[in-house]
Amino acid sequence: MKPKELIGKLKQGDVRAVARLLTLIENEDKSVEPILKNIWPLTGKSYIIGITGPPGAGKSTIVDLLAKTAIKNNLKIGILAVDPTSPFSGGAVLGDRLRMNNAQKSGIFIRSVASRGHLGGLAATTRFMINGLEMLGNDLTLVETVGAGQGDVEIVKVADTTIVVEVPGLGDEVQAQKAGILEIGDLLVVNKGDRPGSDRLANELKMMLGLGEHKEWMPPIITTTATKELGIEELWDEINNHKKHLENKEIDETRLGKIKYDLENQLSQHLFTRKMIQIGENEIENMAKKIFNRDIDPFTAIEEIIKQ
Amino acid sequence: MEKAKIRVLIAKPGLDGHDRGAKVIARALRDSGMEVIYTGLRQSPEDIVEAAIQEDVHFIGLSILSGAHSHIFPKVIELLKENNAEDIKIIAGGIIPDQEIPKWKKIGIDAIFGPGTSTIDIIEYINRSVK
Repeated sequence: MKPKELIGKLKQGDVRAVARLLTLIENEDKSVEPILKNIWPLTGKSYIIGITGPPGAGKSTIVDLLAKTAIKNNLKIGILAVDPTSPFSGGAVLGDRLRMNNAQKSGIFIRSVASRGHLGGLAATTRFMINGLEMLGNDLTLVETVGAGQGDVEIVKVADTTIVVEVPGLGDEVQAQKAGILEIGDLLVVNKGDRPGSDRLANELKMMLGLGEHKEWMPPIITTTATKELGIEELWDEINNHKKHLENKEIDETRLGKIKYDLENQLSQHLFTRKMIQIGENEIENMAKKIFNRDIDPFTAIEEIIKQ
Repeated sequence: MEKAKIRVLIAKPGLDGHDRGAKVIARALRDSGMEVIYTGLRQSPEDIVEAAIQEDVHFIGLSILSGAHSHIFPKVIELLKENNAEDIKIIAGGIIPDQEIPKWKKIGIDAIFGPGTSTIDIIEYINRSVK
């Protein structure tokens, strides 16, 4: 499809065109920039919900049930589900669709995304993929991260509401005190509520929140058993409460902060690439050798490179 | 930087639950650097084609051991046509009688890999076709 034809179809919300655009975005294809420039004013209209948590916590199942609930409420949904790329082969098995039967049967657009070496729980291009998906005219975008470790907190820079899914049996209460993933949840979910230890985990999370500073929005803790569809209505209500909270206060402000963060990232990437093209790989290698031989220190090396 | 990847949807239509073959293929394609979308058991042709379009894959891989291919192959081909998605190619594996293979190839199955096929052959075939 030629870019012009693609843009035309995107504006009609054509599914194949959107799917193709997402491919171009994730391939960082050269043709994608003018397309995104063209459709930019039409994007940014969906409410973005991020779902993160350790592998096997039940993220995909919860996404599927949220999708089901959203349909009941006459909302249009798009789903991006990120899974890890193998660091060895560069390949990936993307299996989140497997758990999304309700969403699949309702014809919801689901896209499986490989992280392609990007760290932080998302792919480098996830932000723009959300914008691409918005050409379908969805009210809600659900973004599921890779099975996240403690430091995979990038979702918070993308989502309006971030849900952290935890499960019992992964560690003691000190784990709950550590910095990282638990801090980013606007909502905390204890899934597998039918398992032993789920009450205790919910209590520990409550204690952890109690020890911190009192914020305007205190994350509610919701216990769910996704395989039995328990607790999902409550989760849905809390999502809406959080949305209302943002609408009253700061949704534009928070979104602005996120766009600023993106802009800074892109700018540093852009300047870096430009500088690298200007000075060339060889110069970097020369400098590295000098630093290695202690002919120069790394700080002076940077100053010299910037001056060039 | 060129970051294009070959994307393949592996589906297991029909009612039999023997998905070991599909999983072996998914794993082999992953290890050769492809992105494999695994959709699991008992998928209808409608589900498969819809998923393939959303995922913008180069190939659909169908694993069928129950004999249901006689119904599923023509249906998947027809649905791809209806959705203007004939550029998505279909490969198949499982239990497909040898004497039927020319017939299926004629109506639009790109390649059929029977029992005993080396995964390397499948990977090479896909790589060649996408280039």
